[in-house]
Amino acid sequence: MKGINPGLKAAVAIAAILLCIGTGDVLISVTVFLSMGAVTVLLGGLSIKKYLDLLKIPVAFLILGTAAIVVGISPVPAGHFYVPLPGFYLYLSEGGAALSAHLVLKAMASVSAMYMLVLSTPASEIINLLGKLHLPKLISELMNLIYRFIFVMMDVQSSMKQAAESRLGYHNFLTSCRSFGGIGANLFIVSLKKAGTYYDAMIARCYQGELVFLEENKPVKAKEAVVAAGYIAVLLLLWLV
Amino acid sequence: MNKKEKSIMKLAAAFALTFGFVPSAYAMHIMEGYLPVGYCIAWGAVCVPFLIAGFCSIQKTLQENRKAITVLAMSGAFVFVLSSLKIPSVTGSCSHMTGTGLGAILFGPSAVGILGVIVLIFQAVLLAHGGLTTLGANTFSMAIAGPFVSFGIYKLCKMLKVNKMASVFLAAALGDLFTYCVTSFQLALAYPSEVGGVGASVVKFLGVFAPTQLPLAVIEGILTTVIVMTLETYALPELKAIGFTKEVK
Repeated sequence: MKGINPGLKAAVAIAAILLCIGTGDVLISVTVFLSMGAVTVLLGGLSIKKYLDLLKIPVAFLILGTAAIVVGISPVPAGHFYVPLPGFYLYLSEGGAALSAHLVLKAMASVSAMYMLVLSTPASEIINLLGKLHLPKLISELMNLIYRFIFVMMDVQSSMKQAAESRLGYHNFLTSCRSFGGIGANLFIVSLKKAGTYYDAMIARCYQGELVFLEENKPVKAKEAVVAAGYIAVLLLLWLV
Repeated sequence: MNKKEKSIMKLAAAFALTFGFVPSAYAMHIMEGYLPVGYCIAWGAVCVPFLIAGFCSIQKTLQENRKAITVLAMSGAFVFVLSSLKIPSVTGSCSHMTGTGLGAILFGPSAVGILGVIVLIFQAVLLAHGGLTTLGANTFSMAIAGPFVSFGIYKLCKMLKVNKMASVFLAAALGDLFTYCVTSFQLALAYPSEVGGVGASVVKFLGVFAPTQLPLAVIEGILTTVIVMTLETYALPELKAIGFTKEVK
């Protein structure tokens, strides 16, 4: 998966997501969900357990958002089934269950298509891709720097947190707030100091307003292009049939 | 009600309680694939003018001072890390702050717009919170509406000579609340209810997210205040460098 041209992977993922939410077809959603999962697990070599854990992340939003669609409120009794509450009625909306079932399928299919892209493509390649799509140089430069700095700061944060925890910094709610605030503020100070150091390091390496990163050349292979085009064609066919 | 019915009721209540408290602040990122195509494009289009304004303001800053690029990048990373940290919470669930309120107070709303989009892209790509198709809608609620309200309230409090810590608290908490209201509105627009239309739907979405979002807004306010207090104590030169204390005095 890593050797495949990132542009091709992105194109397939985006086309699949657009087909899912554009057509709202149940069959397409199921196909995309299963096929993208299979590609990530079988070709990408991710263990099924890890993949399922990743799929669980958006579930919280899904439950709340769907609950709000299935259940309706109204000042007068409505729907087939309703519960009177002081001031208003809670009812099961007509067709709400079907709508939300479609929505859950669509959303999970899109998530699996996005996972196919992001679980097999390093961030720097995605940023380069955006650059090729004529995203302003300034933005892609900032993205590259931010991506690097995230890990630097995670590292600093985890050692600060460990230090605070070993001194009982999180033993109750108030102390936790104080420790969290302290760590946040310190993180900011450290980040500004590091920003200065990084700039000096860049200047020392002849930085003149442009960051250049090494880019691996991964040409699109004919076989992969055919498979990708075939996949999208199958999805289109499913929609038309 | 017989015994079996009672046990089913108990199970249902336990289920509702568990899931009522688990969802986190990330729940306010509209997930991938949840909005119809039309809304994805429309919200994206609404964001464009703000993003162009932010881009121009960042470019101007950089032309005056090239060194600001690493500071900006660090600030973006700071907002990302801050928003990915588990914060102390009363319900025992796993919650996160948005961090954009603090960003708006420190760097101004237009710069946070651009940093916010980048942070949202990384949250979608690295943490699977939010999504690429819903990027426009999420950008509008988290990186534009919230920070602008935070910044506005902060300035207003300054004009009214409110205590500084109180104004930081209000700015962060209300910015967070506004983000949550905008997201509920976006969801309601896309999925209006059959009786009462968009209006009733807004109330539904607000109600569903309220139990997690209201306490979170208060916690976000408290944490932001603690961070600003600590910064003022230990990092005055740095705050001056980014123009924070200068404009306050």
